[in-house]
Amino acid sequence: MFKGFSNSVKGASHEQSGLVCQDSSAHFVGEYYAVAVVADGHGSKKHFRSNMGSKFAVEATLDTIANFYKDVESFEKTFPLNHKFVIKRINKQIIANWNTKVAAHLEKNPVTAQEKSKFTDEEFEQIPPESYYGTTLIACIAGRGFTFGLQIGDGSLITVFDDGEAVNPIEYDESAPANITASLCNAGAASYFNGFYVDKKKLIAAFASTDGLYTSFGSDNDFLDYHTIITSQLAANNEFEAAVLKNITKRSHFGTQDDVSLSCIYDPQLAADNLDMLNKKVEENKKKAAERKANMLRSNL
Amino acid sequence: MSKNDNIKENTQGASVLDFDDDDPLSATSVSKKSLVIFFLIDTSGSMRGTKMGELNTVMEELIPEIRRVGEADTDVKLAVLTFSTDVKWMYSQPVNIEDFEWTRLNAEGVTSMGAAFKELSLRMSRNSFLNSPSLSFAPVIFLMTDGYPSDDYQAGLKALQSNSWYKFGLKAALGIGQEANDDMLAEFTGTKDTVVHAYSGGQLAQMIKVVAVTASQIGSKSMTLSNETGEEVENEDVFAAKQKLLGQQIQEFVGDQNNGDVPFDIGW
Repeated sequence: MFKGFSNSVKGASHEQSGLVCQDSSAHFVGEYYAVAVVADGHGSKKHFRSNMGSKFAVEATLDTIANFYKDVESFEKTFPLNHKFVIKRINKQIIANWNTKVAAHLEKNPVTAQEKSKFTDEEFEQIPPESYYGTTLIACIAGRGFTFGLQIGDGSLITVFDDGEAVNPIEYDESAPANITASLCNAGAASYFNGFYVDKKKLIAAFASTDGLYTSFGSDNDFLDYHTIITSQLAANNEFEAAVLKNITKRSHFGTQDDVSLSCIYDPQLAADNLDMLNKKVEENKKKAAERKANMLRSNL
Repeated sequence: MSKNDNIKENTQGASVLDFDDDDPLSATSVSKKSLVIFFLIDTSGSMRGTKMGELNTVMEELIPEIRRVGEADTDVKLAVLTFSTDVKWMYSQPVNIEDFEWTRLNAEGVTSMGAAFKELSLRMSRNSFLNSPSLSFAPVIFLMTDGYPSDDYQAGLKALQSNSWYKFGLKAALGIGQEANDDMLAEFTGTKDTVVHAYSGGQLAQMIKVVAVTASQIGSKSMTLSNETGEEVENEDVFAAKQKLLGQQIQEFVGDQNNGDVPFDIGW
């Protein structure tokens, strides 16, 4: 049985500028599956409702996965046979659900004069309404016998399977144009999704996070090691979720000062069964980090 | 539990500044916004003697000054590329200013500046020297040379000019002594305003410090992405504005200088 936790913390830069937190996060643990999901609203001028957009993205994901699991037996049987096709359908359904939520919100809450005041009439006409709500989305789903994930835009998805390695399982196909954050509000958003599917390994923990977490690290290695530490601590300490919230709060204040969201689902029993191996990984990682630093400080001249 | 019960838009609850020192997660430190400063230094034979001696001394003194620039909210890293007959990095990757120790340089050989430009272009990449997740600013690139390149520098410059980090980086150059060619240095920086010249040991020390510290300060500044009318401006405009500001500040400094030192080329 999985457990989970999720938190979104406002970044120091957004506190200073009076901007609301643009991130949303959630987790769901059910009888047949668990979901970790985060979304990061773009927060710039034309995405003036992206805090709502990220909330709708998270809701749309949970609704969509629930819908696919309506007939549990059928889904669990057919999904592994054609996972690529099904994940594409899930992505498209999430986009459709998100657009429905956006349209409903816009109908109930028309754009105000104050929101419009930042644009000339001509500029405002050129912004597609869904762009007001532009957001990224990252989700990981642990089912019985398989794990899969999906992502549009920046942010990270890290998994720790029963080999104890913290890895980013998503292979990027570079479909997103360079330097442009892909978004649920993009025309043809489905083509910007990346994903993964694994059915040969057992999942100990999966983490979805917005880019504010990643950018608070000095290296990719540190970022991966961080997830190994959390996984090892979750196995030994039920209270550790509170420590994670404290840590991401610290990172949102002292790192790049962006909003930070982290959502996690984990299997406490599998983590406990592999505690020795996880602790060993943590120690190995510390040693490797020290070696990397020593190598870096060796002058070539 | 309903599946939407756990949606969090902004979690409150952690006491923001109350952190435990024995937190296992403190093993992975928090990185502030980070900036890489590249120094490209001519170590060819003509730099031998006073020029190189002075440069070594200034660079040793400069490290604590740059440390102060970054300490508030930016992690500054240094990468030093030397070029003579060969091109060599002082360290195999950018080193945090807190850990950086200057290795005194020696001068000999010819001036392979084109090869240095190519090497810099190769390393200014997310897959190489600019791979830190916390990297938040375009790099500062500071070239120092006392002479004319002995290789095809234009081929190297062409490679560099196609690199986006170079394009948006803050570029400055220092010509040392009479032989350094300011026009060629302006080709590197893209503007004459960020090219300075030192004809004496005293000037060399001043110029290196002023240019490096000013460029670091401007480079690590989060400039607003809006103009006077509150309209958003493109990233390209922010980088252009930074380069212009650096040019203005350097020229203001140069204009204030009175040269009372003995020039390099007559007796130094």
